[in-house]
Amino acid sequence: MATGSVIRLTSPCTLRHRGLAVRMVAEACRLARGDGSSPDDQSLTYDLRDPFDAELVSAFAEIYNNIVLHAYRRRDGETIEIAIHVSPGAMTVEIRDNGSTFDLSSVPEPDLDSLPEGGMGLHIARAMLDEVVYEPGPPNLWRLTKRHQAATTAS
Amino acid sequence: MPIDFSRSDQGDVSNLRIAGTLDVNTASELAAIIDKLVEAKRPRIVVDLSGLDLIDSSGVAALVALYKRTRAHGGQVSVTGARDQPLAIFKLLRMDKVFTI
Repeated sequence: MATGSVIRLTSPCTLRHRGLAVRMVAEACRLARGDGSSPDDQSLTYDLRDPFDAELVSAFAEIYNNIVLHAYRRRDGETIEIAIHVSPGAMTVEIRDNGSTFDLSSVPEPDLDSLPEGGMGLHIARAMLDEVVYEPGPPNLWRLTKRHQAATTAS
Repeated sequence: MPIDFSRSDQGDVSNLRIAGTLDVNTASELAAIIDKLVEAKRPRIVVDLSGLDLIDSSGVAALVALYKRTRAHGGQVSVTGARDQPLAIFKLLRMDKVFTI
């Protein structure tokens, strides 16, 4: 994918549309890494064998869940805007929503020793990315950045 | 593939195979099969994730619930075959040791 290009998606923000957004991010990861292989268009499975793809998709999916479940509280009729930017050595996913805001710094780290059944989403996102920025809105903005080796080498 | 799962029993061991995607959209589909495993107090449950491509925190929560409920009646749960993205999530959440992957 050419450096500086942007992929955008504006979509209803529901769990039904989640797969659409996750697939777009997964495919953009593959392109950003310069993976020239042809995707298997007949396959309905995710190809997340590359750690870069796996980690960015994991983080994005958790943030998407948070927006649907917490910012919008599963309300119908709401929208999410996603913009994927590829720059030399990094990929950034910007996500905008008009739901309720929260204080990112107030979210505690989960106590993993207690085997929690919730509160792991932001921990996953933070751990899988190089940078997580949240700016309360409206619109609220999430900026998820992950550096990748392929573009660093090529630049 | 959204999610595909099946259960087979051999003696005291129940094998639960989960393939595809285990996430906020599909985790609830596992609820019935997990309830039956727990209600039957199966002593040993082996979860085969070799066909699992993607998991999120909701999917992890479903597996943790199975683990906790089975342990509560003295049973054991182990996970085999996790790879790629699911394995990365289990390691991050330190569940690779709990599930003896």
